[in-house]
Amino acid sequence: MPDEASPLFILAPLLAFACYLVVPLLIPVLTSFPLPLGYMGDILGGGIILSTAGFLVALAGTETGSPYAQLGSSRAMTFGALIEPTVLFVVFVVGLITSTDLPYAMSQAVHSSLGEVLAPAHVLAAIAFFMVVLADTGRIPIETHSGTLEFGMIDEARVLEHSGPAYAFLTWGSSIKQFILYTILIDVFVAPWGLSSSRELGSVLSAIPALLAKAMGLGVIFALIDNSFSKLRLFKIPEFIVAAFVLAVLAVVIFYLGGAS
Amino acid sequence: MFVPPPILTSTAEVVAVVVLLATFGMLRAPLMTSQINLYRLQSLAVTALVVVVGATHGLVGIYILAVASFVLKVIVVPAVILSLLGEADSNIAHSNVLKVPSMVLVALVVSLFGFITIDALHLRSATLPAPALGIAVAATLVAFVIIVFRSDVISQAMGFFSLENAVSMASLTVATAVPLVMELAFLFDLLVAVVAFGMLMRVHHRRSGTLSTDPLDRLRG
Amino acid sequence: MQLVLILLIFGIPILAAIASLAFGGRIAAVATVVGGVVTFAACLGLIGDGGRGEHLSLGPWISGDALSVVFSLVVGGLYAGSAVYSVGYLAQHSGRSSKRFTRRYYLGLNIFCWAMVIVPLVNGLALIWVTIEITTVVSALLVAADGTESSAEAAWKYILIASMGLGIALLGTVIAYAAGVLASGHSLGIGFAPLFGVSQKLSPSMIRLAFVLAVLGYGTKMGLAPVHTWLPDAHSEAPTPISALLSGALLAVSFYAILRFWQLSRIVIGATFCRDVLLGFGILSLLLASLYLLSQKDVKRMFAYSSIEHMGIVAIGMSFAAPIAITGVLLQVISHAAAKGTAFFGAGVIKEKMHTKEMSKLSGGMRLLPWSGPLLMLAVLVLSALPPFGIFRSEFMIVAGGLQSSKDGLAAVLIVLVTLAFLGISWSTTRMLLLPPEEADESAHDFFDLQGLPAPMAHTDREDEHDRLARDWEIAEVLEGESSGMVGVAKLSMSAAKVPAGEIGKARRGEISTLMVVPMIVFIFILLLLGVHVPGSFAHLLSRATSELDGRLGGSVYHPMTGAR
Repeated sequence: MPDEASPLFILAPLLAFACYLVVPLLIPVLTSFPLPLGYMGDILGGGIILSTAGFLVALAGTETGSPYAQLGSSRAMTFGALIEPTVLFVVFVVGLITSTDLPYAMSQAVHSSLGEVLAPAHVLAAIAFFMVVLADTGRIPIETHSGTLEFGMIDEARVLEHSGPAYAFLTWGSSIKQFILYTILIDVFVAPWGLSSSRELGSVLSAIPALLAKAMGLGVIFALIDNSFSKLRLFKIPEFIVAAFVLAVLAVVIFYLGGAS
Repeated sequence: MFVPPPILTSTAEVVAVVVLLATFGMLRAPLMTSQINLYRLQSLAVTALVVVVGATHGLVGIYILAVASFVLKVIVVPAVILSLLGEADSNIAHSNVLKVPSMVLVALVVSLFGFITIDALHLRSATLPAPALGIAVAATLVAFVIIVFRSDVISQAMGFFSLENAVSMASLTVATAVPLVMELAFLFDLLVAVVAFGMLMRVHHRRSGTLSTDPLDRLRG
Repeated sequence: MQLVLILLIFGIPILAAIASLAFGGRIAAVATVVGGVVTFAACLGLIGDGGRGEHLSLGPWISGDALSVVFSLVVGGLYAGSAVYSVGYLAQHSGRSSKRFTRRYYLGLNIFCWAMVIVPLVNGLALIWVTIEITTVVSALLVAADGTESSAEAAWKYILIASMGLGIALLGTVIAYAAGVLASGHSLGIGFAPLFGVSQKLSPSMIRLAFVLAVLGYGTKMGLAPVHTWLPDAHSEAPTPISALLSGALLAVSFYAILRFWQLSRIVIGATFCRDVLLGFGILSLLLASLYLLSQKDVKRMFAYSSIEHMGIVAIGMSFAAPIAITGVLLQVISHAAAKGTAFFGAGVIKEKMHTKEMSKLSGGMRLLPWSGPLLMLAVLVLSALPPFGIFRSEFMIVAGGLQSSKDGLAAVLIVLVTLAFLGISWSTTRMLLLPPEEADESAHDFFDLQGLPAPMAHTDREDEHDRLARDWEIAEVLEGESSGMVGVAKLSMSAAKVPAGEIGKARRGEISTLMVVPMIVFIFILLLLGVHVPGSFAHLLSRATSELDGRLGGSVYHPMTGAR
């Protein structure tokens, strides 16, 4: 641990990891019924916890005074703030469709009818959330996940100063975060089939391969995007974000108009 | 409480939304060829909507309209514009006043205004899904934003053509009740307008040597 | 007889257009003049039938009443006048008399006038839209006919803004039809009769939206502020006969479209809302035009702003709730067309004689042009409501209507703004016409390089009014082998160098063309007639049209175009 850093330098990766472990309690991962602690937070609560984790990691990046890490932290915070309205509007869509903001209820609603999946509000919200996932997990076209060029890094640069076990927690945590976001996208928006609806161990265990298969399918899509597009220049990233925002707002408005008839 | 719509209506809704999204796309497209391709997409969506209306209401004549609209809007209009682009060198769409994110935000506010107006008037349509009229009006207003904020002749012309697309989508609400002659007359008018626009764009290009509308500031007061 | 006249109105301009396309040159000119005069005569022939309240119809797409005849007359008269004027106008420049130019010009003129003259006679809001869209497209190409950079700019702005406005108007039309479909529950024809038949059951909110969209959209073509911005450019850069048609006829038929929406809306949502909407636009137009008129430098642009002013007066007139105001509005539309035609024709003569449109460079018009000078002066005074001409009578009726409906304040505002406009116009025009012709001043000498270099080419880097002078000489460059170009004219810039330097100030006294003067005389005579004593049948026509607009016909609600009570 560097001399000038505070204990937060070591604590932040641990705290972030802890946050990432809490969020799966709130979202439908393997089951279509809420887990015992599932009511302690709704989708907004999940969002808060994820943002807290990101905030802590960004703080840790500023601890040592290295320019590259601070660059990453400030960029991550800025673009994170720009993404927030989009996330909020996606949450609004969930809320409008189910009159609650529990991700479980949304998943149930999608599960119950196929026509629902094709409703334009739902499709737009799903696409908007997909773009948010691209941005939050640091993939093309926002950032090169496996690149080493510091000037283009946003999320990757925050962790440049850590090493050893702390770095392991950070990397593992970011993989968990990616998996969480994939799960939300799959289980809440796009394909909530295969979730177990009973508490028997057998059906829950059989939900695991279903989830893994779906996540791998999604991973293939992300890999395709990774290889087909190039990274956007930094000042064009707001264009990407505003496109996601437009989709999210339109999802709300169109649902409101269509559902109101 | 939410009521899921039947699958055909939601398909029609998705297609209508595609029209609006294509208009937003034209607003932010940096290249003129991508604007033209987005116009093609938009026209395809409108044609698809015409076919859906014909299928759900059993109007045979409307398929003629669909074919005519497809030929004119997806094939002829882009060909005319592309031939002009072939003469000119540049492919970059200009916009002087605002950058893309701000323009998109303005367009979003404007389209929200359109949605709210239609909703407040409780306008109902017999033939199209309920959001479609609101979407059509919103797309019209976004086309206005394109014409206002873009400063080259191709973008402005594409903005006008997408305006016509959006209004013809709105006119599908009365498609079942008004003779198809009217719709065909609109298409004919669009054809004439395309010819005139094409000629005037050529005149502008020959006169000022550029596709940008920046030189057009002699006439004042 | 009625059928024959309607067939003539619909058919003759098309025949003239075909003749122009096929032959060009002198034959095209003759065909156009004949077409114009015959169309005007046919419109005059319809006065009697229209005044008696007969419903003119021919097939499912043609339908007219007294209101239609009034507006057709406007277009017919200007068609005839512009056709005669064009013959003289095109003869002034060798570039303009080429076979190619005349072919396209007369083709455009005939189609433009055909589209305008049938607007009042087609059946249905949708067909009105279609025909006005045709006029937009054709007139935009005509505005670009001169081939200069400013006319290309004006044409682009015109077609863009006018098409946007028509897009809004189309949306309004669609909403009106949608309301009709919802109210009648089944299929609706495109004509007036079906829509007006269910007018009692239409949804007020939809019609309110449709009316506002129609006023905004068609108001763009009519020249109502704040959507008038294309008008000064297009009217000043077009060839003069086309400017006259744009100002006099096109604004009128756009107003006709608004009036049809007015008729529908007053039944559904009451007249008060409609009046308020038109009042707002009218006051804004009149105010803006009056203020702009005080600072104009270009004579045709000044007359364009005067058109905006008169359209503002017309809109304000519609907002007064007295029948005499409505009659005044109709008379104003007709008289304005004649007076504006004369004004533009005179401005065109001066421009051809002195080779410039800048009013600061023009002087001594009265002395140099023994006919056009005084006629132009008279036209300007007529536009400012000089008795005993037509516009005085119509504006008097409008103000009287305002006082009758106890809108004294508005009437007073109207008078003040009209006086302001009069100040602006007559200041410039009197200087232009009555100051003694000067020697060419020093700046003009500098401009024509006495060493014989082609004058415009040597000074293309000077971005000031001298360049505008250059462009007035130079018509267009050769569009090499380009068949789709609007104008293919030989370079005229060389001819400028052949003019001795002092010529611009020492123009010789005398008219340049009788054909350019004759329409002016005819129009002034018509204005005198309208002012002094309106002929009986014409008065019947006006009163019939007024009651159609007013909705009061024999005490019961009148349904236009169906004749039903």
